[in-house]
Amino acid sequence: MADAVLRNEADQTATSRKRASANRRQYRAPRFLPLWALIGGVIVVALIGSYPYYGSNAYVLSLLGKFLCFGLFALSIDLIWGFTGILSLGQAVYFGIGAYFVALSLKINYAMDHPTRYGGKFPDFMEWNGLTELPHFMAPLVNTPFAVVCALVVPTLLALLFGVITFKRHIYGVYCAVITLAESLILQDAIIEYQAYTGGFNGITDYSNYATPAFLWFILAVCVVFLLVSRALTHSRVGTVLKSIRDNDVRAEFMGYNVANYRIFVFCVSAFMAAAAGALYAAWVGIISFLDAGPVFSIEGVIWTAVGGRGTLIGPFIGAFVVKGAEFFLSGALASWWQIIVGGLFIFVVLVMRDGIVGTIGNLLRKRRKGATFEEVMEDSDRRAHDRQLDWQPGGPPPADEPVR
Amino acid sequence: MTNLLEIKGLTTRVSGFTIINNLDFSIEENELRVLLGPNGAGKTTLICMITGQFKPASGSIHFAGRDITGWAPDDIFQAGISRKFQVPNMYETLSVFDNVMVSLQGRRRVFSTLLLRLSGPERDRIWEILEFVELADKASDPADSLSHGERQWLELGMLIASNPKLLLLDEPTTGMTEEGKHKTAELIRKIAQTHTVLLVEHDMHIVRQIGKRITVLHQGQMLADGPMSEVMSNETVRRVYLGKGKFQ
Repeated sequence: MADAVLRNEADQTATSRKRASANRRQYRAPRFLPLWALIGGVIVVALIGSYPYYGSNAYVLSLLGKFLCFGLFALSIDLIWGFTGILSLGQAVYFGIGAYFVALSLKINYAMDHPTRYGGKFPDFMEWNGLTELPHFMAPLVNTPFAVVCALVVPTLLALLFGVITFKRHIYGVYCAVITLAESLILQDAIIEYQAYTGGFNGITDYSNYATPAFLWFILAVCVVFLLVSRALTHSRVGTVLKSIRDNDVRAEFMGYNVANYRIFVFCVSAFMAAAAGALYAAWVGIISFLDAGPVFSIEGVIWTAVGGRGTLIGPFIGAFVVKGAEFFLSGALASWWQIIVGGLFIFVVLVMRDGIVGTIGNLLRKRRKGATFEEVMEDSDRRAHDRQLDWQPGGPPPADEPVR
Repeated sequence: MTNLLEIKGLTTRVSGFTIINNLDFSIEENELRVLLGPNGAGKTTLICMITGQFKPASGSIHFAGRDITGWAPDDIFQAGISRKFQVPNMYETLSVFDNVMVSLQGRRRVFSTLLLRLSGPERDRIWEILEFVELADKASDPADSLSHGERQWLELGMLIASNPKLLLLDEPTTGMTEEGKHKTAELIRKIAQTHTVLLVEHDMHIVRQIGKRITVLHQGQMLADGPMSEVMSNETVRRVYLGKGKFQ
């Protein structure tokens, strides 16, 4: 029907049609993978991947793998926070569960070949806590591939459950942040409480981890795949819908989108990604504790995303590398100052670079073409941050003049 | 002519107040209906009821032969009702082009949008719509860089893109300049040639420019209903709504 309206309009003058085609030719749709991103990505991947050949520092090597896992974790937060507007302060739950499955499996396998002091062929921390054999429900974890599948599937299903409970009931915004935070606290306490099965405070240590260059390349490959998947997701129609939900969920709902289903979907994808990061992390570092599932780690992930630039895909990785990198190197060089410096960095980003490192650089480059000054770009991102704060209530800003349901 | 929208005995209460009181209201297909009423008459509430934002205390809403009473907003949209909010309501950080793209008629479920590609005809249609609301030269700009009037037009374009059976326009000229209001009225008049439109409007100039049949609400009840000239000369309407017999 509307076609007719528009056809009437278009047929009125030939000049309007000509103008339309001129606008259309000028319009450049964003590309899936711009050339600069491809070249830059290849260079960075090559630099990280070839470190075992030009660098001999085992500590740096271990940090590289760690940071990649942290970056992947931050990317999973960015998908829900930066692209869909769900702030989760409990993303470490999914990271932690993934990590614990893998760590437990590796530990059980390690214990088979390395009996404990008392001759037990099961994890030593279980023996200290009075168990005499491997609990039956843990027996399937001997099979490491099965444990990896569990590490990925269980968190995703948990996220599905969580999503159905909260998003379907129109709970989001601050309430969602608080609930996820509580979720993270519960898991952390449960891990400490059931120490016979989880290692409790000490965590799970002393198992044969995969700290080899080959495994670094594997982590790198997984990161690249997830980056490309995220790009495909955010670049597609679903991604546009997710961003429109972030911008204005009420409008999206009145445009026929079932907002809750989209939130649940992206939450599950994000949990899957966080779980993969956790699984890789456990296999790489060889030590896992309750801290890796707790609220502090969750919030750290949010900070990396904010510093790197939420709403950009490479930002979370840069944020993780910059913040964690600063932490590791400054803690050696300036032992008594590094916490202040890292804290100052975070405050600087929040106060001055509202869109994070990558977001601010992107804005600068984009607006430079139109001749905007640095101050204007900063003001602009300040204004947008302010608008977002106004939206910072359940269900977005109430429509003017309308009583609240 | 059949009635596209049929409301019977509708009553709404919000925190103890009866906003709409036992209202019977219907719109015929391909009609352009103007809804008038003083502040608090229940105009916006009526739109919220139709789109499912509020649930009625009693009464029924039938649309295109189906009972849509108590449906969720996204289901009511699927049935064919699109709504324009009083304040411009779009996706601020998306480009103007993407704003229209997301609103295109089509699939809405998560897994069917996952692999959805923009087809050639759809692309043509987006450009037609952008040209129609005169925003084609700003297609790649983020929507929050638009002026107030342009935002209103963008939202109109988004509604056209969704190709609904019934458009509910809640004061689309609020906060516009005279020139902007005039242009908006032209757009609405064109849309109304092929769509059923329910327009809430305060500005009498606009109402005169496009209005045919007018319904006046007062305190949640229908006060008058009929062609423009008839309603305008109705004594009760003059007293309640226009006050002091003033028209211009």
